[in-house]
Amino acid sequence: MPHPSSTELATSQWITLLAAGMLVVQMLMVVQRMLLTNIRLFAIQSLLLTGIAAIIASFYHAPEVFLVALLTLLGKVVFLPRLLSRLVRRIGIHQEIEPMLNSTASMFLCGALTLLGYIVARPFTSFARLGNNTLGIAITLLLIGLFLMFNRRKAITQVLALLTIENGVMLAAIALSSYGMPLVVELGVFFDVVVGVMVLGILVYRIRESFASMDVGKLTTLKG
Amino acid sequence: MNSPELFIHIVLLLGLAPLVSGCIRNWKAKLQNRRGPPVWQPYLDLEKFFRKDMVISENASWLFRAVPFVLFSSTILAGLLVPLISVAAPLSMFGGVLALVGLLALGRFFLALGGLDPGSAFGGMGSSREMTLSAIAEPALMLAVFTVAIGARSTDLSQMLMAAQGPTWKLFNPAHVLAFAALFIVLLAETGRIPVDNPATHLELTMIHEAMILEYSGRYLALIEWSASIKQLVLMALLVNIFFPVGIAPIQSSAGALGFSLACLLAKLMALGAAVVLVETTNAKLRLFRVPDLLSAAFILAALALLSTFLFQ
Amino acid sequence: MNAHSPVFLLKLALCLYAAGIGSALLAVRRDKLANLLGFGSATVAALCGIWAAILALTASAADQVASFTLWPSFVPYIELKVRFDALGAFFVLIVSVLALALSVYAFGYVRGFYGRKSVGVLAAFYNALLLATTLVFTASNAFFFLIAWEIMALTAYCLVSFEHEQAEARNAGVLYFVMSHAGTGCLILGFLLLFQTSHNYDFASFRALGAALSPGTRNAAFILFLLGFGVKAGIVPLHVWLPVAHPVAPSNISALLSGVLIKTGIYGLTRVLFDFLSPVPNWWGVTVLTIGTISAVLGVLYALMEHDLKRLLAYHSIENIGIILMGLGAALMFLHTHHPVLATLALIAGLYHTINHAIFKALLFLGAGAVLHSAHTRNMEEMGGLIKRMPKTAFCFLVGAVAISALPPLNGFISEWLTYQSLLQGFRSTESLVRLMFPLSGAMLALTGALAAACFVKAFGITFLAQPRSEHAAKAHEASPTMVGGMGILVAACAFLGLFPTTFLQLFDPLTAQLTGQTLSAQLSLHGAVFPVLRNAQDLEAVSSTYVPSGSVSTLGLAFVGVGLVVSLLLVLKLVWSRKTKVTAGPTWDCGSKGLTPQMEYTATGFSKPIRMIFKALFRPHREVQREYDYSPYFARTLHFESHIEEAFVARLYRPLNRRILRWSLRIRGLQAGSIQAYLIYIFITLVLLLIFAL
Repeated sequence: MPHPSSTELATSQWITLLAAGMLVVQMLMVVQRMLLTNIRLFAIQSLLLTGIAAIIASFYHAPEVFLVALLTLLGKVVFLPRLLSRLVRRIGIHQEIEPMLNSTASMFLCGALTLLGYIVARPFTSFARLGNNTLGIAITLLLIGLFLMFNRRKAITQVLALLTIENGVMLAAIALSSYGMPLVVELGVFFDVVVGVMVLGILVYRIRESFASMDVGKLTTLKG
Repeated sequence: MNSPELFIHIVLLLGLAPLVSGCIRNWKAKLQNRRGPPVWQPYLDLEKFFRKDMVISENASWLFRAVPFVLFSSTILAGLLVPLISVAAPLSMFGGVLALVGLLALGRFFLALGGLDPGSAFGGMGSSREMTLSAIAEPALMLAVFTVAIGARSTDLSQMLMAAQGPTWKLFNPAHVLAFAALFIVLLAETGRIPVDNPATHLELTMIHEAMILEYSGRYLALIEWSASIKQLVLMALLVNIFFPVGIAPIQSSAGALGFSLACLLAKLMALGAAVVLVETTNAKLRLFRVPDLLSAAFILAALALLSTFLFQ
Repeated sequence: MNAHSPVFLLKLALCLYAAGIGSALLAVRRDKLANLLGFGSATVAALCGIWAAILALTASAADQVASFTLWPSFVPYIELKVRFDALGAFFVLIVSVLALALSVYAFGYVRGFYGRKSVGVLAAFYNALLLATTLVFTASNAFFFLIAWEIMALTAYCLVSFEHEQAEARNAGVLYFVMSHAGTGCLILGFLLLFQTSHNYDFASFRALGAALSPGTRNAAFILFLLGFGVKAGIVPLHVWLPVAHPVAPSNISALLSGVLIKTGIYGLTRVLFDFLSPVPNWWGVTVLTIGTISAVLGVLYALMEHDLKRLLAYHSIENIGIILMGLGAALMFLHTHHPVLATLALIAGLYHTINHAIFKALLFLGAGAVLHSAHTRNMEEMGGLIKRMPKTAFCFLVGAVAISALPPLNGFISEWLTYQSLLQGFRSTESLVRLMFPLSGAMLALTGALAAACFVKAFGITFLAQPRSEHAAKAHEASPTMVGGMGILVAACAFLGLFPTTFLQLFDPLTAQLTGQTLSAQLSLHGAVFPVLRNAQDLEAVSSTYVPSGSVSTLGLAFVGVGLVVSLLLVLKLVWSRKTKVTAGPTWDCGSKGLTPQMEYTATGFSKPIRMIFKALFRPHREVQREYDYSPYFARTLHFESHIEEAFVARLYRPLNRRILRWSLRIRGLQAGSIQAYLIYIFITLVLLLIFAL
């Protein structure tokens, strides 16, 4: 392992700080009960991710990573949160999320998931390259995102959870490969998610229209 | 320990504490488009309380009279363990952060007994809530403190500060950021700030600290109010000095260095006070049984801080 | 023999306890005489015991550890051998200090039994219990140990059911009896396992086992000893007998049960784990630390739910055993990772808490006994206002409450400080993930301490403060001088252990030299110019030149400055303001409501309600409200409220187990044919099977 230079150390420190911030925001999403605040938190998380991507891009002078950062900024910080909050306002749903597990228990579970994420990531963690040590956080984001998906009943919150999972994937991509995945793959994932969310948004609207509720539990009544 | 240092420290604790409370109160009013009391109002309050006659409940025992003194001196003792303007706290040899937590707990223990002594239902309610919330805040506090102590390899506050100023310390170490966040929540809980308690209200259903001291009057009330603001100052100084050890004078500095250090301390306290004001203004008070959620969030933050001490080595 | 030899004094103490039994029984018809003789000889015996223990613990290392045979035995393998080594001496010190305070207390306390119960029998059992406990701590042969252990358990059983006219005491006695014997069964099996390899029941031979023991045997022995001693110590989930049995005994006996008897479990674990079974695998330490943490948190949570003063104290014993085990568990983990110095620190923390808990818990039980004596109830909801009628008792109880809540400057703070320090240092002792356990246990210890403070605000506040809640409480009277004297001894001990820890630490040196080969008192204590400072070093393992204290505390210094602050404050107030203001007594303001009655005061149940709500997933409180009304539900005519909590372990573990055992027993009952032939056939079959097995 080459000895890291001092600028590299400082940069790495900023990256870990931002990654830790993403984790904290994720935790806040777990305890936060208000839907709109949740969407805002997601925007903040994406902003932090943008920051990480931008730092890496400027450090390695990689314009394609800049592109990714820009897309994240436009898509996940500006566009999707707006879309979602407009959806929430338009269908006028009840603001409060009703999780299955209470927030204290979820917090402790997420603490355990963080530990798990760290243990899983440990063999792959090295300090040879910038941001590699954030892999543990990326995996944790993934795990907590999955937990959020099944802990919440409303379809729109599941969309949100899916988006945080995507944030985790993106972070993992940055952490693992030389500087992000090949651009094509990255863009593919990105547009996939955007389109997916839009489709889901429409679907949510339809579910709401048909069942007067967003509880995905109601979908069970569809089977004959 | 030398006596001039001890004396200066005590004077700082006694003198600065009401100012910090006054600033927070004033700024809060400003932020809410009110004029608010002047920043030196707490001094005037204290002065007035000291001049007032006292009425003591017939049900109360000697313990009721002892409580203000125990509380006041244990709070000052706790303050003497925390470095304010010099890296060395006057009594740093006599105990570190564990003793600090213990002394604050001692004061709280007696204050809660003082709440029960006159036999009013409000006092009991306040004591019960205070002890409950502090019990739940304690693990978060301890875990966050542990995280910092592990990094500094000492529970001695002066040592922790020196480690913080040392070369290995990083300003935006994730562990420290998380621990700071946890301790900030604990600070709000311990000083009875808005999401947890409302210092401005006397509505019995919401109050905690005010309910406990309902029966106190005159100079006893003054002592209790003064200790409450000293405790706030001590906790705030702990936070700013451990996490932002900028400008603190090393051991045996000149008077000029100490003055600069004092200015730094004031600036940092004001910044933290502004943060408290912001939180108080933008949040509503939580229902009592939602507070544990907040404090468990603080606990998890502290646990994450601990985890990240070796997550990022 | 030299009068200053520890062994001589120990023998003297044993003889005096025996004399106490005899004289109390002889004077059984004359209560006063039995009181004087029985408790008098126990007092003197206790003094001898203290002296002996201190001599043994301050003796220089070169001195031979004395051993002697109590009685020649003609049975092979069984030797009634007594060995007064440092570990035993430390626990003899604990039992003797308590015996001294309790005996002094008993002079006044047992007067309440005159004419009602036989004081002679009580005194005899009391002496027998002390005798047996002292022998448990000094026995040096497994058989002898078990005999003393059983005598101890049986006399304790008799004392628990001393007031046997009450069904509660009888049931508690039976529960204690059953659990205790299940534990003894485990111990017997454990010792037999060791015997398989050592072929001798002498403790010295167990000690010599070392690596000769196979890992399987070693682990099995660990589990058996943990269960056996754990029952006695009251670890969760083996604790269910403790809060039932301890409160029903007379209060000085409760103090002995909670102060010393459960410590025999700690003694046994220390003896076996540190003395016999080393080297230890890692999972032992992890297990002990986990059990300790769980016991501490659950113990204090259940204690908070109690409003029976003595049951509350009994639950706190579970909590404190947990704290002690945290120290011991950490010490085991350090031994595994080859950090003998850290292990010593953790061991000292655990054992320091052992003696501290013995002292303040006994003090609290004695205070509760004095309250019970004069208010005739154990229910806190019927007390209140006692601080005015029993000021001395109230003061002593307050000291105990501050000490048990681990508040400075008393002794509880010192031992928890040491525990925190060892847990903190533990984080750096290993690279494996297990190290996360140290700070997390530390956080749980913080939770425990804060909850204990809440619990004792409740216990002291509801019992002693505000207005009396019942007739009895209003007519309460101060305890007799000897009772106060007994408590006073313990108050002094609390203060000494809290303010002069470095003096006391020196007594640990021979003990730790014996168990871990290290002595730490010199490194831990720093005699500053005026105040002894207890300190803890970072990198204890490193060379002494890089010795930087990683934390220091001086309770005496804090207390001194604190008193100085109070005095100067009083002076300032007196000079500046007091003359101009006047103090009047008036009714409680209570936000302006008039006519405050004791019924409007906060109750013990109400005080702990927030905790009950927050931890309701654990407590699962059962609550029932019935209201009767005439025309509108808002104006109830009568209101009936019932709320109670059943321990999860009783409901989920013991009750099903009990049912299953009863079902099996019913099935097995078929074997009880009632004919002698059948029984003979059973014996015959067993014999044949055993012979085949022996082939």
